[in-house]
Amino acid sequence: MDIEFNLTNETVEQTGLKDPLIVAPDVSVCDVFELLKARRAGGLLVCEGERLVGIFTERDALRLMAAQASLDGPISEAMTRDPAKLAASATVADAVKMMSHGGYRTLPIVNSNGRPVGILSVKSLVHYLVQHFPQSVYNLSPQPNPAMEQREGA
Amino acid sequence: MKCPYCGYENIEGADTCEECQQSLVELSKPRAVSSVDRTLHRERLSRLENTNPITVTPDKTVGECLKLLVEKSIGVVLVVEGDQLVGIFSERDALMRLNSESAEHFDKPVADFMTPNPETLTPESKLAFALHKMDVGGYRHIPTVDEEGHVHGIVSVRDVLGRITEDLVGAQDS
Repeated sequence: MDIEFNLTNETVEQTGLKDPLIVAPDVSVCDVFELLKARRAGGLLVCEGERLVGIFTERDALRLMAAQASLDGPISEAMTRDPAKLAASATVADAVKMMSHGGYRTLPIVNSNGRPVGILSVKSLVHYLVQHFPQSVYNLSPQPNPAMEQREGA
Repeated sequence: MKCPYCGYENIEGADTCEECQQSLVELSKPRAVSSVDRTLHRERLSRLENTNPITVTPDKTVGECLKLLVEKSIGVVLVVEGDQLVGIFSERDALMRLNSESAEHFDKPVADFMTPNPETLTPESKLAFALHKMDVGGYRHIPTVDEEGHVHGIVSVRDVLGRITEDLVGAQDS
C-alpha cells in the first residue's frame, strides 16, 4: 500500500469520521463543559439550525478557566466564530497540511451544503497514519533500545 | 520464500534454506517502502524534541499552571520534583478534572490534578515509538527523560505530524 497515493486519493470521509457533537448557540458555557467531559471530547461544534457558526475546543475552555471567567453566559460568546473547515471531499493530505500549518487539532468537516458531518481530530489522524505503516509501527520491540549490557553467556 | 542461493522454495519465515542451509534471515527483515517509513525508523526524538519544556513544582497552584499554559501557548506543563519527573498537567487534564469547577480549585496544588507517572521515552528513541505510544495512549505529548529520570525534553504530536508532513510534501513534489 502506497501511503503517498492513499493520502492524496482518500478523502477525509474515509478516515472514519465521528459524528460531531453539536450544540445550539444559546446553550450555557457551563453545560458545554459538562458535555465535553461526559463525552470525553476535545471540542464541539456550535450550529444554528444546520449552519455551522462556531467551534469550541479545549483551548477555548482553558482560556476561560485561566481567566476565571464566568461560565454562565451562552456558548456563542465564548466560541471561536467562523472556524476553519474542510470539505468532506478533501483529501487526507489536505487535512494533514491544514492541521500542520494552521496549528489546528480539531477540524469540522462539512458536506457540499455546508452542513457539518463530522469532526476530524489530530488523534484520528495519528491513528490513520499508524495504520498505514503497520510494518514500521506495530513491529516495534517492547523496549526502544534493546541493546544487551553484557555479551550473552558472559 | 525462494532461496536466493539455490532457488529452493522454503516455507515463509524460515531461518535457513532447507536445501543449501544458507541463512535466509535477510529476506524477512522489514524493508522501508517509503520515505516516511524510513523517517520513522531512523529519526531519533533528540532531533524533534523541544529541550526547553516548561516545568513546575508539585506545589504550584492550578491557577498559575492554567495561566502558564495560556501565556506560553502550550498544551502541557511538566511537574518536576527535585530533578525527577513526577507528573504532567495538560489542557486535557484541565478540562476533564477541573471542568466547570476550576474556580474552586484555583488555589489548590497542581499535584492533585496532574497525571502522575506519565509515559516517557528517551532522546534516543525512534520516531516510530513516539507515534505508537501517541496512538495507543491517545497522548499528544510525551516527555523524554535520560537514564537517571532527569527531564530532557518533550515531543508533541504537532512535531511528529510536522516531520511526517515534510516527507509527504517532499514526496509529492518530487
